[in-house]
Amino acid sequence: MSDKLLDAQGITKQFGGLTAVNSVDFSIERRSISSLIGPNGAGKTTFFNMITGLYTPTSGKVLFDGQEITGTKPHLVTALGIGRTFQNIRLFAQMTALENVLVGRHSRLHAGLIGTLLRLRKVREEEVAARTHALDLLEYVGLGRRRADELSKNLPYGDQRRLEIARALATEPKLLLLDEPTAGMNPNETGELTKLIRRVRDDRGVTILLIEHDMKVVMDISEKVTVLDHGAKIAEGLPELVRADEQVIEAYLGRGAAAHGKGGRMPTAA
Amino acid sequence: MNSRIRAGLIGGIFGLLISLVSGGQIAYLAGIIAGAIASQLAAQEEDVASVRAGIQLGLRAGLVAGALTALGVFIRGFLINPLVNVSADASVVFMLGLGGLVMAGVAGVVFGAIRGLPSPQNRFGTLLAFGLLAVAYPFLDSLLNLRFMNEVIPVLIFILMALGLNIVVGYAGLLDLGYAAFFAIGAYTTGMLASPHFGISMPFWIVIWIAAAVAALFGILLGAPTLPLRGDYLAIVTLGFGEIVPIAANNLDNVTISILGVTLLENFDLTGGPRGINPINRPSLFGYAFEPSQPIPWYFLILGLIVFSIFFILRLRNSRLGRAWSAMREDELAASAMGINLVRTKLLAFAMGATFSGFAGAFYGSFISAITPASFGFDVSVILLCMVILGGLGNITGVILGGLIIQFADRLFLPQLGDVVQGLLQNSNIEVLKEINFKTDFRTMLFGLTLVIMMLVRPEGLVPNERRRRELHADDEATAHERQTLYDAEQA
Repeated sequence: MSDKLLDAQGITKQFGGLTAVNSVDFSIERRSISSLIGPNGAGKTTFFNMITGLYTPTSGKVLFDGQEITGTKPHLVTALGIGRTFQNIRLFAQMTALENVLVGRHSRLHAGLIGTLLRLRKVREEEVAARTHALDLLEYVGLGRRRADELSKNLPYGDQRRLEIARALATEPKLLLLDEPTAGMNPNETGELTKLIRRVRDDRGVTILLIEHDMKVVMDISEKVTVLDHGAKIAEGLPELVRADEQVIEAYLGRGAAAHGKGGRMPTAA
Repeated sequence: MNSRIRAGLIGGIFGLLISLVSGGQIAYLAGIIAGAIASQLAAQEEDVASVRAGIQLGLRAGLVAGALTALGVFIRGFLINPLVNVSADASVVFMLGLGGLVMAGVAGVVFGAIRGLPSPQNRFGTLLAFGLLAVAYPFLDSLLNLRFMNEVIPVLIFILMALGLNIVVGYAGLLDLGYAAFFAIGAYTTGMLASPHFGISMPFWIVIWIAAAVAALFGILLGAPTLPLRGDYLAIVTLGFGEIVPIAANNLDNVTISILGVTLLENFDLTGGPRGINPINRPSLFGYAFEPSQPIPWYFLILGLIVFSIFFILRLRNSRLGRAWSAMREDELAASAMGINLVRTKLLAFAMGATFSGFAGAFYGSFISAITPASFGFDVSVILLCMVILGGLGNITGVILGGLIIQFADRLFLPQLGDVVQGLLQNSNIEVLKEINFKTDFRTMLFGLTLVIMMLVRPEGLVPNERRRRELHADDEATAHERQTLYDAEQA
């Protein structure tokens, strides 16, 4: 097995005449934390969607754990070990926190129609184990068991973000994709969540790739940063190096701003 | 307003309407229904800490409901009956009113007390109480001389189907407007396998399983083309399927199939065409033959089928598959990202929904003994959808309650109301009013009106999901206010 958990080779996605992602090569080391950054509309989420099977790349291929997954259906990608969260939270609103996490267990459970109808012992035991596992996960992400029976839509915003992570972890991912996990959070909550993300990697050995706009988070936890702009990769490497890259600053602040290097998102992170 | 009094009034409205319109000994049953509803509603509003508190609460709500029931009896006995020239003995009317009041109080106390039991027992107790009421119904029916049994059985057939439709619409969120198709398929399968039509007479107890399996198979076949569709688009396609099935049944009485000049079938009568299939064999159990003149065995057979279905539907609901249905309903994209196979999950929803309709179809075929394509039209699908939505999407108790109300309104209450109003019109001295044929002209309109009023009063359904209810009413005033300002702004 190679050291690369994910290896995207020259993937391109076109929507009609628009090229959202243009021939991007991208790989992630096992047990690393990497970030994907770039201005709005740079193609970051499109890139996520190609990895998770929601979009089929127009060209190029994606290897996961040494296996080609280009164009594989999303539920099969999840079963192979890629979990994800969404930019604008997509919890199952009318289901409880616990049920949300249990849905995440779906691909790890085996109960079929007959087993369910007859409630075989195997199915009962599996269900009990799934519940315990889900409650443990709720505790792990800091939601605690007492919120387990709350409808997910009634949870505070920060808890919803955490619940999405718990749900993604329930799929037992080898690679966890987080799409702007700290969006809309205050600095305190952001700090807590950053710790959680690092903990997930350290305790569970989960490789993490995040899309993030908060440069403090990016600089804080990433071991590698990749910058997309207009669908193309414009820089990649250690956070400090990427931050100093002229092209990156220009992409964020526009031509000419690089000389000043003040104002806007990039500098606030410093 | 005090929540107990309000609950009593709501329950009482049912009692009042029933005793007002139907008259006679039904007052006792009206009292039981009114008291039970009032007590259940009151217990839902406030926490019942003990049996004692439950009895107090149930008694108050039940007596308020009973008073309205008695009012209905008195209006009927002392005001309406003299107008339509029915002689009324004042003491009989008085006794009936008192009977309704007492029964409402008793029902209120019993159901209130059950709700006061500690947590697991109270659910079981409520279930047991309603179960006993269902089992006792045929005897009440003959005791009170109601003669409703032949109406009650079709009502229960519809409830069984509504439970199946609830899987598709309530659990999986797939709006199906052609659900009657599976009812037809279940009934026709029974007709073909247990009648002189093909000369096959398999026993009912085997046919019902085959009918369910065939319905499930068609659920998958008709579901497959709709897979990429959702919401309105899905509704239109299912509507089409709902129309195709009875039309096919109507026309498949002269089937000729020839492939490359080889005739496989010639003038083959598959479905009996517009005449349908008749007569279909009736079930028999240990040598006892079910007869149309004896409704009680049929009643218990369909009741048993319903209990059986609920048992398995609940198992499905609280399982990996049930959660997958809910997740798919809430957000297909997120569901697939959580490892749910959407194709499989959707097809299973269609198949399981169709299965229970297949049971209902098999029962219906044997019970009615003559099926024609006309019995499985669009109106059946629509009524079923109304039952599911009115009761509270995704809630079994709600679906049953919604089903009972809609079906009884349609089959018993509105026709009787029609009789009463017609009687009043005929006895009035105004010529124009005598011309109106209230019974035929207004029945459908009143039915529609009932639906409109119920949806305006309780948009979340009669018995919505407990959690959803709490959340809909927590900020009731705020939202009502917002809505008000919204419309004010429009008018201004």
